Amino acid sequence: MQNTKKPIIQVRNLYKIYKVGTNKVYALNGVDFTIFKGEFCAIVGPSGSGKSTLLNMLAGLEKPSKGEIVIAGKHLEKMTENQLVGFRREHVGFIFQSYNLIKTLNAVENVALPLSFRGVPKKVRNEKAKKYLKLVGLEKQMKHMANAMSGGQQQRVGIARALVLKPKIIFADEPTGNLDSKTTMEVLALMRRIVREQSQTLIMVTHDNHLASYADRQFHIVDGKIYKIEECHHDERDEEELAVFSAKIHEEAAQKDKENVLTVRKVRGDGPPETGTAGIISEKADIRDLEEQ
Amino acid sequence: MRFLDLLTMSVNNLRRRKLRTALTVLGVIIGTASIVVMISLGIGLNELNRELIESFGSLTAIEVRGEYYWGDNDGSADPNYLTDDLAADISRMDHVVSVYPLLEADAIFIQGKNSMDAQIIGAPRGYLEQITLGEGGMPDEKTQELELIYGNAVLQWFSDGKGGSAYWRTGELPDVDLMGRPVFVIFDTDAYYQSQWGNSEQPVKAPKKYMIKTAGVVEGEVNDYNEYAYSVYADLDLLKAQLRKVFRKNPIPRQPTNKKGKPFRYFIYSSMVVNVDKIEHVEGVQKQLTDMGFQASSRAEWMEQSEKQSGMIQAVLGGIGAVSLFVAAIGIANTMMMSIYERTKEIGVMKVLGCDMGAIRNMFLIESGFIGLMGGVTGVAISYGISMALNRLLRIGESLTGMAGDISRIPLWLVAMAVVFAVLVGMVAGFFPAMRAMKLSPLAAIRNE
Repeated sequence: MQNTKKPIIQVRNLYKIYKVGTNKVYALNGVDFTIFKGEFCAIVGPSGSGKSTLLNMLAGLEKPSKGEIVIAGKHLEKMTENQLVGFRREHVGFIFQSYNLIKTLNAVENVALPLSFRGVPKKVRNEKAKKYLKLVGLEKQMKHMANAMSGGQQQRVGIARALVLKPKIIFADEPTGNLDSKTTMEVLALMRRIVREQSQTLIMVTHDNHLASYADRQFHIVDGKIYKIEECHHDERDEEELAVFSAKIHEEAAQKDKENVLTVRKVRGDGPPETGTAGIISEKADIRDLEEQ
Repeated sequence: MRFLDLLTMSVNNLRRRKLRTALTVLGVIIGTASIVVMISLGIGLNELNRELIESFGSLTAIEVRGEYYWGDNDGSADPNYLTDDLAADISRMDHVVSVYPLLEADAIFIQGKNSMDAQIIGAPRGYLEQITLGEGGMPDEKTQELELIYGNAVLQWFSDGKGGSAYWRTGELPDVDLMGRPVFVIFDTDAYYQSQWGNSEQPVKAPKKYMIKTAGVVEGEVNDYNEYAYSVYADLDLLKAQLRKVFRKNPIPRQPTNKKGKPFRYFIYSSMVVNVDKIEHVEGVQKQLTDMGFQASSRAEWMEQSEKQSGMIQAVLGGIGAVSLFVAAIGIANTMMMSIYERTKEIGVMKVLGCDMGAIRNMFLIESGFIGLMGGVTGVAISYGISMALNRLLRIGESLTGMAGDISRIPLWLVAMAVVFAVLVGMVAGFFPAMRAMKLSPLAAIRNE
């Protein structure tokens, strides 16, 4: 897809050393790699391998002990904290494992939040936020408060929030870690589709080899060192398959939700149930389905 | 980040913790109200005092007396006489609005069998116009006839010839009508006494009586005190002319003579009233006058002392109020601290998403400032209520000074200061929590609980 490979992230000889008592713990022990524009990279490794530390440093949340991180021509290790914040505001989108939406704001306001940090007027940013919420398929939930949504929906809001800045790079820290496998596929497909469309660079941290296989390249990290870099070539058919797969799942899920609600009504037989209860039961049904599969 | 967005965020944050915000604000309300009420009491006391002192005369006036006034000059030094030239000099000094030379002359007033000794004070028209009259009016400006203004208390001094004041002896006012019936005035008092009680071998001819018109009487009952109650006033120039007419070439009593024992060709005043533009300048002008060798006194001195005293009372009262605002400030700091602990993750997320560190600090400062603002405004409103209760219901002011007046006064500057101060206290109390929020690690957001 990328004919002219332009490097966007260059990491040279990166070390992160924590001191635990008198012992030195090497969270990252000399890491070198380059990520090109428009790539979808996965950083894979078991817990404690240093993958999250690496991501945090790429996003400028932690300072490296040694080494260089050059993103879009800028040396991250030389920036002050305030410069790093500014850098993230301009260039970086972030998707969290636990969504981290602001609970007191509704979906639109959550998505518009990073824009407000940039000083975008309210009208313009709400317009943009709505556009991105549509893009992630949440037309109907725009006015919902953050904790009135399901995990999958919250993560979609999280994705919209990361995308709304039109960042060059999107970091995703176990974005599907708190989601069931069906929603995981949906979210993954969504992220990939949008990033492809807008030719943004996506870097995802995961411990799941299967999820990582959807990326263009996988960086396997063990004990603070890159132990292998795998390239996977996804052709156009692959793309379509994933898209179709996720669409099908989406439909099925919608169908099941309806059925579940109906069964609950039948079982209880006492008028329309509270939606909250129905939601819980339908989730349970989902889990049962998964177990059967 | 836009200020409006910051403000909305801060206010929303306060709104989502309504009870806690309300309790914190309550602390500020109590603090502000106690400061405002205490200071308003201090101001009230001070102003009541000033009103009391002002009732004794203007605060911007300085009274000047000459060094040598009585008797003859011993010839050792040039005496500091109060003359017209001097009055002109003084009036050219900075901050001096006007100079009123006062000429005192003894006279005997007679109506029927009642008579009294009193001083006529000749004063320029500007001085006379300060007097509030109860009856009659100012002397006609164009008249060349001497007219008199009597103090409201002079009736006390009329004697019916049985010795001493009739009023003091019997408690009844003498049968004297200053406005309605004519009053005769004798200026040559020495000659009068000699003709009355002098030795019979060298009888002295009784001096001439002049019938002088009464222009007005000073406002007030015979027992009411004011600056003008005990004297008789006349226009300075007309009094001078009258004295010249009465004494001709003879020396005028109470006027000094030169080394040869001859009277001066000009009048020498007993005192002068120097009016200054502002009370702040009284001290300076007064010092200049004393440096020139005159005795100068003013009510501002008195005022200053009482102001010092009430300043101290004010400071003590304000201090008591400040303690409660200080406690409120601790409450604000505590609330902000709690709120930061609660929102650690949220703050981290905002930092990851690119919220400026300054914006985070400002958000918390606005929050704590807003607590101060709400508390300040409500506190001032409540202070007005308390102040009204003190003034209207308890009437403390009256029982304290015996004068009608509010003991608690809240001027606009105090309102503005109180609100600004409350906001400031809120922001200062919120400063360290805000700095802490700013420095929170964004990693807290990534950490999964």
